[in-house]
Amino acid sequence: MPFEIFVQLAISGLTTGAIYSLIALGFITIYRASNILNLAQGEFVMLGALCAVFFIEKLGFSYFPAAVTSIFLVSMAGLFLQRAVIHPIRDEPVLILIMVTIGLSIFMSGSAGILFGPSPRSLPPFIDAPSFEIFNSVRINTQSFFVIGATLLLVIILYMVSRYTFIGKAMEAVSTDRLGSDLTGIPGNFIVMLSFGISAGIGAIAGIFITPLFFTQYNSGAILGLKGFSAAVIGGWGKYSGAVLGGLILGVVESVSVGFIPAGYKDAIAFIVLLLILYFKPKGILGSRALEESRK
Amino acid sequence: MIKQNYIKKIEVYFIIIFLLLPLLFDDIVYNHIMVIAGIYAIAALGLSLFLGYAGQISIGHAAFFGIGGYSMAILSTRFGLPSALSLLAAGLISGLLAFIVGKPILKLREYFLALATIGLVQIFQVFATELTDLTGGVSGIYGIPWFSIFGFEFDTSLKQFYLVWFILYILFVYSRHLIHSKYGKASLAVAFNEDTSKTIGIDPSQVKLNFFVLSAVYAGIGGGLFVSVLTSVSPESFGLNMSVIFVMMVIIGGMGSLFGTITGAVLLTWIINWLGEYQAYSLPFFGIILILFLVFLPEGIFRGIGLRWFDFVRTYADENWRKEIDK
Amino acid sequence: MRIFKNSIIIIICLFFLAFGLSCKSSGPEGYTPYKIGVNLELTGPYANITKTLVMAMEMEVERINEMGGINGHPLELVIEDNGFDLAKVSANMLKFTRDKNILAVVGPFEDNFQATTRDIAEKEQITNIVVCPSNPRVRDLNQKYAFNIAHSDILVSEKLVDLCLARGYKKILVFPGNWPLAMSLAQNFKRLAAGKRIQAIISEETHKPSDIDMTPQLIKMKPVIESENIDAFYASTGGPPGPIICKNMRTLGIKTPILGTHAFGFGFIIGIGGDAVEGVEFPTGKPVVPYQLDENDPIRKTIIDFHERMLVKYKQGAEQISGHGYDIIWLIHDAIKRSKKPVTRSDFRDAFESTKDFKGCTGIYNFSPSDHDGLTKKDMVFVRIQDRKFNRIKLPEFE
Repeated sequence: MPFEIFVQLAISGLTTGAIYSLIALGFITIYRASNILNLAQGEFVMLGALCAVFFIEKLGFSYFPAAVTSIFLVSMAGLFLQRAVIHPIRDEPVLILIMVTIGLSIFMSGSAGILFGPSPRSLPPFIDAPSFEIFNSVRINTQSFFVIGATLLLVIILYMVSRYTFIGKAMEAVSTDRLGSDLTGIPGNFIVMLSFGISAGIGAIAGIFITPLFFTQYNSGAILGLKGFSAAVIGGWGKYSGAVLGGLILGVVESVSVGFIPAGYKDAIAFIVLLLILYFKPKGILGSRALEESRK
Repeated sequence: MIKQNYIKKIEVYFIIIFLLLPLLFDDIVYNHIMVIAGIYAIAALGLSLFLGYAGQISIGHAAFFGIGGYSMAILSTRFGLPSALSLLAAGLISGLLAFIVGKPILKLREYFLALATIGLVQIFQVFATELTDLTGGVSGIYGIPWFSIFGFEFDTSLKQFYLVWFILYILFVYSRHLIHSKYGKASLAVAFNEDTSKTIGIDPSQVKLNFFVLSAVYAGIGGGLFVSVLTSVSPESFGLNMSVIFVMMVIIGGMGSLFGTITGAVLLTWIINWLGEYQAYSLPFFGIILILFLVFLPEGIFRGIGLRWFDFVRTYADENWRKEIDK
Repeated sequence: MRIFKNSIIIIICLFFLAFGLSCKSSGPEGYTPYKIGVNLELTGPYANITKTLVMAMEMEVERINEMGGINGHPLELVIEDNGFDLAKVSANMLKFTRDKNILAVVGPFEDNFQATTRDIAEKEQITNIVVCPSNPRVRDLNQKYAFNIAHSDILVSEKLVDLCLARGYKKILVFPGNWPLAMSLAQNFKRLAAGKRIQAIISEETHKPSDIDMTPQLIKMKPVIESENIDAFYASTGGPPGPIICKNMRTLGIKTPILGTHAFGFGFIIGIGGDAVEGVEFPTGKPVVPYQLDENDPIRKTIIDFHERMLVKYKQGAEQISGHGYDIIWLIHDAIKRSKKPVTRSDFRDAFESTKDFKGCTGIYNFSPSDHDGLTKKDMVFVRIQDRKFNRIKLPEFE
């Protein structure tokens, strides 16, 4: 394979990878506060994008206010769903929790299909300069910069928050030892709710950033969610840095694999990589406390 | 002893009702939906053993259902094998593949096991689509012959009804034997706590693997029947939705209750078919129904309603009653 | 405790009986409407298309009933979602066959599901009207009760070869989707093009309907386009992947002209593709460009009338799929009128098969025992996307 093609594939993979990372960050945010895996994460991405499209097309908002309103609304939806559905069953076995989040995801995508219509939608790119050449006909899409930039910015913010603020530390405390954190007076339920809100917001941000590149339809959340979850596991479950690294690796591996095997196998690659990582390096690339406990 | 007799009595009731119902109504849709429900119940029964007795998680049984379906389709159309033999092979092939993938996967727990099994479905779908020479690619395989034994064709919904529910009954009896045996108790110990089960000389990974393979065999048989009833097979039919439906059947029926699983399968199949009338609303309604079941009856309908009823009675009972109930 | 258990048994028995009874109950007798079963994927990947189809059918049924029905009998749609689930597809189909007033069943949309419903249709002897019968293996079954309402893949490919001849393209790279319609479009195109001395190379790379990014495949094809001097790039696809391919190609700086399938003729394609789909050319159904049809086009009036009614009712104009909806309802209307009275399923089928010179939105239908597709090449036009609009291009020698 010529070098240019390889570079071009890798660059295109980085963009997709950044998207997986953004989604993975949402998974991690909830998990770090509540030890819950929210398989409806992909639906927040879809909702964020469709809300923004709705505000721009139907209500005539300009780009920025539409994005902010949509992120805010989706966060509220996240808070509400946690309160109404996840909270009452928080002590049930893991299987029930997984199935509830799947039920939520079916419900959310179905309702979005009715609210926003089933047709696929897209947003215009942030700035009107489609792509440029770096060297030897290798080209980069300008929107990719925004996506990768947003991912890096978000992970830094999340890291700072979890490291240096009270809320971040409280989240950590609630997930590590619920009883202990309750005893120190941390409002556990509120913190878990907040984590759902933040995670939904991250999902919405992801949706708004990726829609100009691709498109969003009411049922496009599920597969994005699964890829994001895989990315988080590959990088090291429970770590923000792991989510970003896992996403980028997954994106690049998927994209470069097309250079060697037919493109139809692309979707299987993600999961084969996942199974291999789970088998040979179950802690993920960056290592993870959580996975160590969960594998015997 | 008394308890066993009791179970037998319920069984007799049910067998009679089941044999009579289709004849009483003679309705093609009723029969067909019960056939589908029976097929789903076969797969859900295996899954119930794996979820309820080995205490593991699998959202990937659609893959084994699909493997069974494809084996049946390929063996009976390309190689012209008799369908009874193909069905057996479908179960075995799916069990064999489960054995191969089971070893590494079952080392995982909880979310990661769930994710790995979801991955299995995705990988299965990709391979079913891409191995065009074998599977017919996206177009799948058409014109799969009806199930037949010694030239007797199961070509109407009524005949299929008896066939499917007969096979289901055999598997049901076998599963019940299994869970009452020493082996079933060992598996319960694993489900309860893997570490403690080791201390009494049980090898949890072996138990889990055996149950995984067994559940895959059930799913494979279900898949084989599925394609022979619907006469066509394509990769989209065996997606994550189907896995979710199987798991829900087990949960609705109550984890670990074999009879409950069958009821859950019948109930959910009817709900799904009834939802079709709501057109585009069927999807959010389905989501809501799943959530309601999980939030209000996570123990399953029988145990769940029983517990709620018990709470209800207890709340409104006077002191003497309460004491009596608490006994 | 014993009473408790016994009561459970009774409840369960009642539960099964209730189910049995509930499916036994049927509608009131007396004044009988002609019913049409609609068995479509209203949820799942085709929700977008099927919604439009149902909207158009509902509007036309309403209109027929306002005009007094068919010989006094009202027409009624019985719509069921099959949720993209094979088991539900067949259950719905059987449900429709059970209701004796249902004369025909429309759908499903997915090729693989059609195989199952067509089987049931043959067995239960009920007309099954399907849209987009693309899969050659399904088509070759030559079933008696199945009819198709859409341009077949062969027509589209023939028309596309004409487009290539008119443009003087000699070498074309085809990027097919991996589903039956896209595959058979690609293969038919290659076969027909070879007859006209046009070389079509079908790429080994494929894409899926759910793919959101085709860049990797296109990167691999880029050197082929450059080294083989490809004149045009044919995206043999449908749905959202179409505009995404165009977007990805333009991002990669590939400037080759793009040819599309008739599935490019939808408004959302321009919505997603934006500037990237400018200049894409494809053959498509006439409802895409209602006002640009020739004044003497026999179906111009039908399309414009339908287009304007759709605009009033749903604020969205006619397009190919809603055109199919119109055709289905009025073909049924036409067949019932010509059928013997009282209308039975087999009379209806025979009447439907003998449809001649029926002017629908998609074209002029002529069914015969050997042809259940009904349309010809004349029922398509060439379209180019320009200034975010569909513009008809006239190629006089190929119209």
